Amino acid sequence: MTVTTQPSGPELADVHAIVEQVWSSFLGDEEPLLPRYADAAEEGTPAFPAEHVWSAAVSVHGGWTGTVTVELSSSVAQSLTRLMLAMEDEPLDDAEVADAVGELVNMIGGNIKSLMPGPSALTLPVVAAGRAAHSSELAEVARFDAMWNGEPVRISVHAPQS
Amino acid sequence: MSKILVADDSKVMRQIVVRTLRQAGYSGHDVIEAENGRVCLEKALAESPDLILSDWNMPEMNGIDCLSALRGSGNQTPFGFVTSEGSEEMRARAASAGALFLIAKPFTAETFQEHLGGLL
Repeated sequence: MTVTTQPSGPELADVHAIVEQVWSSFLGDEEPLLPRYADAAEEGTPAFPAEHVWSAAVSVHGGWTGTVTVELSSSVAQSLTRLMLAMEDEPLDDAEVADAVGELVNMIGGNIKSLMPGPSALTLPVVAAGRAAHSSELAEVARFDAMWNGEPVRISVHAPQS
Repeated sequence: MSKILVADDSKVMRQIVVRTLRQAGYSGHDVIEAENGRVCLEKALAESPDLILSDWNMPEMNGIDCLSALRGSGNQTPFGFVTSEGSEEMRARAASAGALFLIAKPFTAETFQEHLGGLL
C-alpha cells in the first residue's frame, strides 16, 4: 500500500541556496552571509542573540502547505533596507523597514513555494517588530541560521505536523 | 521616450525595479507606479503606458486578475510579471493570460535586458 503524505518541507541545502541567492542579489557580496551552526552543547532551538528583532512571514497553501519566516536583528533589518533602497545616511522610518523585510520574506517564500509540489498560493507577507510566533499545529521542518555583519539572521520553515 | 508602468505593493521593490531598469540601460523613460492591481488597471487604461511590469501577489487585485481585466477590455499593452514565484505552473498561467514574460525575483539587470530587448 502506498501512503501519500505531503513532503514535510524543503531540503535545508535548498533553503540555504535560495537565501544566499536573494541575499547576494539585493545586498551584494561585500559582506557575506555566514552560516551559523548550533553549538553542540545547546539543546533545542539555539539562542537568537539580538535584543531588537524584526520578523516577517508568508504562508503557502495548496499542494504543499507551510510557513516561511525570516527573523533579523534590528541592525540587519536597517542595513538591508538601506541597501535595497540605495540610501546612505538618511533616516529610515518603520514603514520602510517593514516593507523591505516583507519583500525579503516574499522572495524567499516565493522561491521555496516553487520548489514544492503545486499548485499552491502564497499569502502577502506579515511583518512584525519582535520575534516570530508559530501556531502549535506547525512544526519546524527546516532552519537556516546565519550571521551578517556580526548580527543574527534566521530563516525557518514550518509545516503541519504529520 | 516610452512610458513604463511598474506595479508592486512594495515601494522598496518598485524602487528596485526602477533602479534595475536604469542599470539595464533603459534610463530616460517615463516611469509611473501603482501599488496594487486595481490602480495598475486604472493607470493602464488612463495613461496608455508602452509596457507594464507587474508583481503577481498584491492586495485589492492581484497581477493576474489585472492582466485578465486588461485583456478583457481589449487592451493589448505589453505586460510582464516581476514576481517571487517562478514555477513552471505560474509561467504557464502568466503566458495563457497574455503575459509576454515572467521575471522571477531575485533578478539582475541582465535578466531585464533579456526580456525587455526589443520592447523599449
